[in-house]
Amino acid sequence: MLRPLLTVSALELRTRVRDRTALIIAIIVPVAMATLFGVALGGDDPPLRATVGMVDLDGGEFPAGVRREVMASTELDGVLTLRDLPSREQAQSALDAGDIGAAIVFPAGFSASVGAGEGGRVGVLTSADTPLAGVVANAVVDRISSLVRARTLAVRASLDAGVPAAEVKEFVERNGAAGPALTLENDPMAGGRVDLSVYYGAGMAALFAFFVVGASFRGLLIERKQGTLDRMRAGPIHGWVPIAGKAVVGFALAMVSVCVTWVSSVLIFGSTWGDPVAVFALLLAHVLAATAITMLVASRARTDAQADGVIMVISFVAAFFGGSLVPLYTLPDVLQKIALFTPNAWTTTGLTGLAGSGAGLASVAVPIGVLCAIAVAAFGLAAAGFRKGLLG
Amino acid sequence: MNDTLTCENLSKSYGGVAAVRDVGFTVAPGEAYGLLGPNGAGKTTTISMLVGLLKPDTGTVVVGGADLAADPMAAKAKIGYVPQEIALYPDLTGRENLRFFCRLFGLPRREVRGRVEEVLDLVGLADRADAKLDTYSGGMKRRINIGAALLHRPELLILDEPTVGVDPQSRKSILDGLERLVADGMALLYTSHYMEEVERVCDRIAIVDHGSIVAEGTRHELVELVGGADRIELTLDGDVDTAVDKLRGLGGVTEAVRTAAGSVRLIAEGGRYLLPSVISTVDGIAAVTAVEVVEPDLEATFLHLTGSTLRD
Repeated sequence: MLRPLLTVSALELRTRVRDRTALIIAIIVPVAMATLFGVALGGDDPPLRATVGMVDLDGGEFPAGVRREVMASTELDGVLTLRDLPSREQAQSALDAGDIGAAIVFPAGFSASVGAGEGGRVGVLTSADTPLAGVVANAVVDRISSLVRARTLAVRASLDAGVPAAEVKEFVERNGAAGPALTLENDPMAGGRVDLSVYYGAGMAALFAFFVVGASFRGLLIERKQGTLDRMRAGPIHGWVPIAGKAVVGFALAMVSVCVTWVSSVLIFGSTWGDPVAVFALLLAHVLAATAITMLVASRARTDAQADGVIMVISFVAAFFGGSLVPLYTLPDVLQKIALFTPNAWTTTGLTGLAGSGAGLASVAVPIGVLCAIAVAAFGLAAAGFRKGLLG
Repeated sequence: MNDTLTCENLSKSYGGVAAVRDVGFTVAPGEAYGLLGPNGAGKTTTISMLVGLLKPDTGTVVVGGADLAADPMAAKAKIGYVPQEIALYPDLTGRENLRFFCRLFGLPRREVRGRVEEVLDLVGLADRADAKLDTYSGGMKRRINIGAALLHRPELLILDEPTVGVDPQSRKSILDGLERLVADGMALLYTSHYMEEVERVCDRIAIVDHGSIVAEGTRHELVELVGGADRIELTLDGDVDTAVDKLRGLGGVTEAVRTAAGSVRLIAEGGRYLLPSVISTVDGIAAVTAVEVVEPDLEATFLHLTGSTLRD
């Protein structure tokens, strides 16, 4: 079983490598497209100008510090606009109306509570329609939370050490513990940047994986047309050998394609896609799903031209709805729901999340699980299709 | 001696339309068996079932003692299949094509090179082995198409219209080669709609029409089925219908039909001796502008059994 499979795979690999067009589609075009998108639409900046509402029910030093630092940040200049709002309800109304992308709510007594070592909670209002504004607001609040924790710890330690309560605030600030001033670093996103070169790199990788792996299955139908498939099947080999032999090569080349797109994005733009193990696992799951879907098309197509056309349509539809061509959050709600049926959406969202959060493999367990489920379902249908048609 | 191929009760239908009906025959070692029939008769469907490309609705296929359904690998290892089309890779050389199928069909690695050279010699293409297949002539492609089926030393070679579109010289070369294989003990199943090829190569012949075997036997046995009657092809100029009526009444004529505008076919015992009477019968009704007397052959048998010619 293994030797015939390797024989078919070796011939397929040789055919694909000899075919310059395949090389262009697998390597050059996705890298070029990702680069063009990245350059044309801006390398590092989030694609939105975010307006974040600020509800200051505290009136103390912490909200003032946040406002001061945001205004002073060169990184957020022209990107993030703070709009003061009088209450949480009005912030929610503004958010619902789309006037702001997110809101940070400082409750009354927040600064005093933190100063007394009792901690405090800052509220964040976000909307699914404006995810990047939500990311910015959460990043700011994460920074505040760190300061609050450090300040609370310092105050409690001072009290336990016998510093009188009336002198704790001055004592803590004098000794360099986290003060009320909030320093926003140049990179407001924990763990990396939501970077268009990553976004479109991921999108192009997801899109072209379909074309690359689809070419192998188109080759299977060409073999049926020229009779070599029947000649193989008439020989003493299992009927699945020609299909599996081509699938292996298509899968491997698609993995090379997506990885080259990934690496080129890192080299050209200096982008960070996030944890390499998680990125690789997600790309692997995507290519597996793309392999299964294109195999399903090949199992039902009558001719290579028909398979080619259907794979093209599926690839672009999945790319469009899945956010490979236009950001998912720009699509209407109903289309965002449809996107959940495409592997591209799970891949792009997963990769963007990895780049934006610095999280690891566990954070993409759901996208990987969904992609594997898509792959299993499509493989099952493809197997049934092949048994009925090509191997019938 | 056990038969190399035994198939029984093979049937296959598509959407209620029977493509093959209850076909069964045997092929002995060193025997060449022909399936003769027009296009669409069911020959290719039958072969597809014999080589395992199609699952029959009913029936069994046993090759060299191995049941194709129960042990397909063992049965297929004994079959060499030559499809109707050139089922090889045009952008590979002849040698590369043969090497690929050697490896695919499990020849031990150390035997591959030697076996490829043997087959290249056998099909007379050793000197063109390193040229890409798409530079081969039609006849060369046909020869290497057959060679690829011989690589794993099958007991039974199944050929589906192997000489379609080749020049007479290449056809002769192919048929000579097949005769040598049969002489060496290989069993051959040969399908064609070329009567003369089947007559030359095959020891026994099955005439296939509308998915069924309508007659089977040696060439002599099949020709006997039409009772030794000659076929007379006349070309007439005049009142052809009246001439046909008159000819039907002529003693010795068993059949007289108008086949085209001025063409008439007669089936008659001792037709060549009847020719003067035929001409005198139509005298004054139509002028005989051409005449051909065909002695009993497979064509006549086929016509007799199926009512149509092979190339209809």
